[in-house]
Amino acid sequence: MAKIMIVDDALFMRQMLSKALLSEGHEICAEASNAKEAVEKYKTSKPDLVTMDIVMPMMEELDGIGAVKEIIKFDPQAKILLVSAMSQQPIVVEAIRLGAKDFLSKPVNAERLKETVRNILANS
Amino acid sequence: MQDSYREIFLSESQEYLKNISNCLVKLESKPGDLNSLNEIFRCTHTLKGMSATMGFEKITQLSHLMEDLLDELRSQKRAVTSNIIDSLLSSTDILEQLIQDVRLKQDSNIDISLSLQGLKKFLSEEAIPPEEKITLSDIDSIRLNEAEQNRFKQAKEKGLNVFKLKLLIAEDCLMKEARAFLVLTHLKKIGELIQSVPAMEDLKKERRLEQPSISAIFSTKENQGTVLQVILNIPEIEEVSLTAAEMPPLEAQAKTQLQEPSAYIKKIQSMRIPVQRLDRIMNLMGELTIAKIQLVQMVESLKLASLDEISTTLDRLTSALQDEIMQTRLLPASYILDSFNRVVRDLSKKKNKEVDLEIIGSEIELDRIVLDEIGDPMVHLLRNAIDHGIETPEERIAKGKSPRGKISITVSRQKGQIYIEVADDGKGIDLNSVRRIALERGLLTELEAANLDEKKILELITLPGFSTAKEVSDVSGRGVGLDVVKIRVESLGGRLDFETKPQAGTRFLLTLPLTLAIIKAMLVKVQQETLAIPLMSIRETIKLRPDEIKRVQNFEVVKVRNEVIPILRMDRALGIAANAPLQSHKPEGSGLASDSQSHKPEGSGLASDSQSQTNKLIPLVIIEYEAKSLGLVVSKIIGEQDIVVKPLPSFVKKTKGIAGATILGNGRVALILDIMSLR
Repeated sequence: MAKIMIVDDALFMRQMLSKALLSEGHEICAEASNAKEAVEKYKTSKPDLVTMDIVMPMMEELDGIGAVKEIIKFDPQAKILLVSAMSQQPIVVEAIRLGAKDFLSKPVNAERLKETVRNILANS
Repeated sequence: MQDSYREIFLSESQEYLKNISNCLVKLESKPGDLNSLNEIFRCTHTLKGMSATMGFEKITQLSHLMEDLLDELRSQKRAVTSNIIDSLLSSTDILEQLIQDVRLKQDSNIDISLSLQGLKKFLSEEAIPPEEKITLSDIDSIRLNEAEQNRFKQAKEKGLNVFKLKLLIAEDCLMKEARAFLVLTHLKKIGELIQSVPAMEDLKKERRLEQPSISAIFSTKENQGTVLQVILNIPEIEEVSLTAAEMPPLEAQAKTQLQEPSAYIKKIQSMRIPVQRLDRIMNLMGELTIAKIQLVQMVESLKLASLDEISTTLDRLTSALQDEIMQTRLLPASYILDSFNRVVRDLSKKKNKEVDLEIIGSEIELDRIVLDEIGDPMVHLLRNAIDHGIETPEERIAKGKSPRGKISITVSRQKGQIYIEVADDGKGIDLNSVRRIALERGLLTELEAANLDEKKILELITLPGFSTAKEVSDVSGRGVGLDVVKIRVESLGGRLDFETKPQAGTRFLLTLPLTLAIIKAMLVKVQQETLAIPLMSIRETIKLRPDEIKRVQNFEVVKVRNEVIPILRMDRALGIAANAPLQSHKPEGSGLASDSQSHKPEGSGLASDSQSQTNKLIPLVIIEYEAKSLGLVVSKIIGEQDIVVKPLPSFVKKTKGIAGATILGNGRVALILDIMSLR
C-alpha cells in the first residue's frame, strides 16, 4: 500500500483523513499543517500521494497553491489530491492546471476518498 | 459522531473562533489588512469543513454564509464596513453558542435565521439558475469553426483517432467547473482537444457552467477503450458517450470493487492531553522529586560511594523531567490576551470612547491554570480603564490629549515571575472621590479618612464593597470589583500593585508565579518547625546582632541601610515560642491567626527584651509585599529549594498565615508561609 502525506491546517481534518486512509491499509508517512511544512516534508518523506488542503495559512510567502507548485517543481510525478470546499473552485482549477491529479470537496466522504486515492495510485 | 473527534472538534473550533473574532477586530481598525482578512477566511472555511464533516448543520450553514461574504470582501467585490464587521462578529458569537451546545451534547435550539439574514443582506444577489434535469441527448451537437475543422482533418490524415465525447457531471458534484477542467486536463494528456464546450480558458476565468455537461472533439493515438478508461477513472461523472464515426455509444461501466482494509501503521506528531492528566503527572513528578531528595540525602549521609554516581544521574534526570513537564503546562499569554481586542472594541463602542489596545509580550508563556484564572480579573481591569479611566474623545481633545485613548498590556518575565501590566492614559483615579465614596459606604470614619495618606486612600478601592452599584448592573453585569481582582491574584500567590497619576493614567501591575505547582522557596527553621517562605516575596536575608533590634513606640524594628523595617518574631507569631523569655509581651491572640498589622501601634508585636538574652547573630528574612517590607526573625536559614505545593486539606484550609504544605526530602511536612496574611 502507499505512503501518504496529509496536508491540512486542521488537526481534525487530518485525523479524519488519516483514519480513512489507514483503514485502507495505507501508511501515513507525514502530516503537515501549513504550506511550507508540506513542501519540506514532501522532500524528506517522498510520499506516493499527498492529500492537500488548498486553503492554508500563508507561511513564508507560501500558500496552498504555492505548495502545489513547489512540490510539482520538485517532483513532476507528484500525486496531489486536493481537498477543498466548493467556494474555492478557481484555486482548484489552478492547481489542476499545475498538475494536481484530482480533488475532493469538503465534507469529505471516506469512501470517496479511498476510491479517489485508489484511482490516482492506479492510473497516474 | 465519535467522542474522540468531538473533543478535537471542540478545542480546534474554539481556537478558530477566537482567531476569527480577534482578526475581525483588527480588520475593522485596518480595513485594508489583507492578512487578517485571509486569516478570518481561512478559519471560517476550515470551521465550515469540520462542522460539515461532523454533521453539525447549523454551524455549517452559518459559517458557509460567512465564508461567502468574506470571499466577496477578499475579492474586493465589497468593501469592509463597520456594519459588515458587526454582522460577522455577531455571527461568530452565535457560532460560539452553537459550539457550546455541541460541548454540552444538547440539541441546539439556537435560532440562526437572524444571523443568516444579517449576512445575506450584504451578499450580492446572484440569480440562482433554475434546476433543470439535463440528459445527454440534450447536449448540443458540436459545430466546428474553420481552424478547428483544419485540425480535425490533420488529425485524420496523421492516422489518429478522432472521438466525439459527451458527458454529464454528477448532479451532487460540488465543484462542477473544477470537475470539467479535470476531465479536459486528462484528455489533453492523451491527445489534443480540437474543441470543447466549455473551453478550458473559460473555466480558468471562473466562468460558470450553464449545464453540468461537457462535449468535446479530440484527437488521440489511443484507442476507444483506453480513452474510456481514462474518463471512467475520473470521479463524479454520471454519463459518458464516446463515439467515433463508426462506433456505437458505450455504456458507463461499474467501478472497481472496494478493497479490504489491512493493518494499521500510524505516526502521530502531536496530541492533545486533558489538563487533569497533566496535573496528575505533575503531582507524581512532585512525589518523585521528594523520593529523589530522600535518596540523595541518604546516599550522602550513609556515604554510599557505590550509589553516588547513580544518585547524581537520578538527580539530573528528575530535574530535566521536571522542566519538561513544566513546559507542557505552559501556554503563551496570547491564549487569553488575543480575545481582549474584542473586549476593548465592544466596551469602548458601548461607552462611546475611542480606545486602542496595545499588547506587548503575548508570546510569553505561563501556566495554563494561571492564565485561566486571570482572564476575568484582567477583563475587569480593562473594563475599569475604559469606564473610569479613558475619557470621551471630546474631553480628551479639551485636555490636549489625542482623541483616541490607549490601553497597553505588557507581559514580561523575570526570575520565575510573570509581570502583567495594564496601563491606560486616562484621567487617573481621583483621590477625593475615592475618599468620598469610602465615607459614603461606611468603609472608614471621618477621622480615619483625615489621617490617611494618599497611598492608603488609593488602596481603599480594593476593599470589598467599594465597587459601585452602577458598575454591577451597567458595566460588568457580574459585580466583580477590584477587591475580587485582588483576591484572585493573591490566591494564585501573586499580588496586585497599582499607581495612578492625575490626568496621566492608571497602571495596574499583576505579579504572578510562573507556575503554581512548584515554587522556589527559602526553607527556614523556627524553633523545631521547618517553614517554607516563597522566594518570590523575599527581598533579602541578613544576620543581625541582637542589639540591632530597636524598639520604636511599641514595636520592634531594625535599620537596614537607613531603612526602618518592622520585624515579626516568627516563633511567637506561630505560637511555638517555647523559649520565649517574656510571655507577657506575647501579642494578643495567636499572632498570625489574628489580623496582625505590625505597623500599627495598637496592633501586635510588642517589643521584647530577647536581644539581651544572647549575642548570637539572628537570621532575618526580609519579605516585601506591596512595597512594604517586613523582617521575619527565624531560628535558622536552611536554604533555597524547589518545593511542590500541596494544597492543605479542607479542614485546615482557612488557617491564616499558612498557604499550603510541602513534603521535604526527609519526608517531613513543612508549612508554606502565606506572606499576604502577614501584612
